[in-house]
Amino acid sequence: MSKRQLAMVMDLNKCIGCQTCTVACKTQWTNRNGREYMYWNNVETYPGTGYPKNWMELGGGFDAAGDLQPGVIPNLEADYGVPWDYNYDALQGGASFEPNVEPTWGPNWDEDEGAGVFPQDNYFFYLPRICNHCSNPGCLSACPRDAIFKREEDGVVLVDLDRCQGYRYCIAGCPYKKIYFNPKISKSEKCILCFPRIEQGLPPACAQQCVGRIRFVGFLDDEESQVYKLVHQYKVAIGLRPDYGTQPNVYYVPPTESPAKFDADGKIIEGSTRLPIEELEKLFGDNVHHAIKTLKLEMKKRKETGESELMDILIAYQHQDMFRLDNNYYQIVAKEKGRHALAPIDTRYIAGKHTKTGHVMNFMQGEDFSGGYH
Amino acid sequence: MKKATNTLIVAGMVATSLMAADAAVSAVKVDADLSKISYSSSVWKDAKFSEILLYPQTTIKFNDKKANELNAMSRAKKASVAAVYNGKNIAFMIKWSDSTMSIQEGLSTTAYPDGFAVQFAANYSNPEALPYIGMGSDGRPVVVHLQKAVRPFFEPNGHGDVAMQVNPNQTDLFNEDLEKFNNKVKKIGSNDYERSFISEGFRSMTEIKDGSNNSYARLSYKRDGWMGTLSRPMVDGYVDLSAGAIPVAFAIWDGDKMGRDGLKNLSQWLSVKLEGRSGGDELIAALAAQAPGDAAAGKEAIAMNGCIGCHQVEVTDPVNFMGPALSNIGGYSTAGYLKESLVKPTAVVVPGYNRNAHSNDMWYTEENGKRTSAMTDYSWLDEVSMNNIIAYLQSLKAEVE
Repeated sequence: MSKRQLAMVMDLNKCIGCQTCTVACKTQWTNRNGREYMYWNNVETYPGTGYPKNWMELGGGFDAAGDLQPGVIPNLEADYGVPWDYNYDALQGGASFEPNVEPTWGPNWDEDEGAGVFPQDNYFFYLPRICNHCSNPGCLSACPRDAIFKREEDGVVLVDLDRCQGYRYCIAGCPYKKIYFNPKISKSEKCILCFPRIEQGLPPACAQQCVGRIRFVGFLDDEESQVYKLVHQYKVAIGLRPDYGTQPNVYYVPPTESPAKFDADGKIIEGSTRLPIEELEKLFGDNVHHAIKTLKLEMKKRKETGESELMDILIAYQHQDMFRLDNNYYQIVAKEKGRHALAPIDTRYIAGKHTKTGHVMNFMQGEDFSGGYH
Repeated sequence: MKKATNTLIVAGMVATSLMAADAAVSAVKVDADLSKISYSSSVWKDAKFSEILLYPQTTIKFNDKKANELNAMSRAKKASVAAVYNGKNIAFMIKWSDSTMSIQEGLSTTAYPDGFAVQFAANYSNPEALPYIGMGSDGRPVVVHLQKAVRPFFEPNGHGDVAMQVNPNQTDLFNEDLEKFNNKVKKIGSNDYERSFISEGFRSMTEIKDGSNNSYARLSYKRDGWMGTLSRPMVDGYVDLSAGAIPVAFAIWDGDKMGRDGLKNLSQWLSVKLEGRSGGDELIAALAAQAPGDAAAGKEAIAMNGCIGCHQVEVTDPVNFMGPALSNIGGYSTAGYLKESLVKPTAVVVPGYNRNAHSNDMWYTEENGKRTSAMTDYSWLDEVSMNNIIAYLQSLKAEVE
């Protein structure tokens, strides 16, 4: 457990599945150097196979006794999908439009399919997913090299690429399959919660670019933050699959609104709802009932009285109010620890503990970071 | 009964003294330059090959479901090992058969390479208290050289150069400058998967990147088997291998069985006699020692003392996350280590799982960075029982493939 915990809340009632978050993340972090197949942020259709394929059935996480469960490492071709591109250049010469690899699987292969029978009772909703920066991370517990660490100052879970040897037990250990193997550098990589942006007081790219304004970011112990209010005060935001025992720090406002079902004649069945509560129970546990009750009550209150702080927060009138990131905080932490701001350094293996000296890490900007850390 | 035991002790002692004459491997003195050699170097013509056994690592069970299924019935493997030295460098060759050549290359998340590692002890003055076989232990560091069958790959951070890790489109460079940048990235990015580590227990393994490492390892696949060679200075900042005999351990990985990290076969500490140098007899004897006890009686004693409460002793016993599993302990432990573990459990605390992975199994307590094992101290055992138990533990090992 870290001293403080940065968290994100996503309002599933408002997600339109536009994938702007996915693209924001991809262009920022994963469009190069062996990360092409990775989606640190993805938006999947639920119910559906998800990304990677059937990730909920691949093991990992903890059982009730707190023992890490074995898991399966997904295959790039079968479970993630090999990214393909098109022959744009050849089109000028009159060639037909072809992908460079035969597409056999990919994220969103079953987008918008959902479940049920159209038009009677079909349904789906979008489930955007990033690394949950868990308080009890499965990836960290699985690593036999101590290469994964959770930052004291904000609970962001990071891979120390200097220590990572590409064993991939982390992938088996993460029940959300949100840590990936980079075959080009033979190391594991994952969502870093855009810490270089966070440390400058900017929200993660996925949250800032979200056109539906579904993402809130802030510290869980900051009572002024909307994240605190949604998670702790109103308790309408719940972690995904809490039964995995990793204590995730990305919280979801469960979808409460879904259309009524149609009967065989195409008439509305009054009082019915397409979204089965069992599905929400599976995803969010029993607390989902309380969350839905609160949301419905507040909605009613808003309709009747015109006032509800919770509804105002969820409407998100001002985008900047959704984020409460104190950039001075990181400057103070860096100063206290006497280290380079923005240096993702795991201090457990500083020089002298095992090797005789450290080695130099070159940074693009600012001073080189030498001796002491590796 | 007492008479029978006495006879056994005598027989055991005779066996010990006979074995003491032979080191597991003989390092031949040569004049040739050994700084950069491979399997095809002529120097191996003069070398003496000995057969060694490498046992599947089962002390720790990993959380990869498929890999565990593939390795559930793993057996011990035979390998052929030779060593040569010239006073400045020492070189090793290990040959083992592997019908599947596994090379990690291309874009795959589920490909694992074959490979080998050679481990040296930083301090071996007391052969009864060597570093833990699994990459050393607190205060007893080892140096591990690792070579894996990975195609040279692009790693912008391979030389710690983070500045070269940006997308070329995100630099402010154009035309010639951009080409220069790309060429530099390509040049510094190609890495052979040869690594050297210093380690005080397997969690703590840290790559030596201070520029002091002058080892050279090669791996070649010929006729259904691998040949791995390693040459390194006899003395560097971390180890001194210039004694009459030195302890060395080997490990091999089978990529076809998703082998990596602890999913490997490893030897016990083997004595390597440097021919022509005096000394080291004590080490050679210690590493070959068989406890003069009755294994069957030892098995009973283990059952009586409730060892199974924390350890998975035989493969058929239930998995236990508290103590190390012992089903192959005889394959990769020396009698000295087993005795030390019984008498002074805290001398070597196996680093084991991340404590968070099995948080209810507190197999050690930690105070000021010093680990104290949760295991009961068995120094009160009489010598006969102790020898019986050690003899039994030494008999716990997988069959040879």
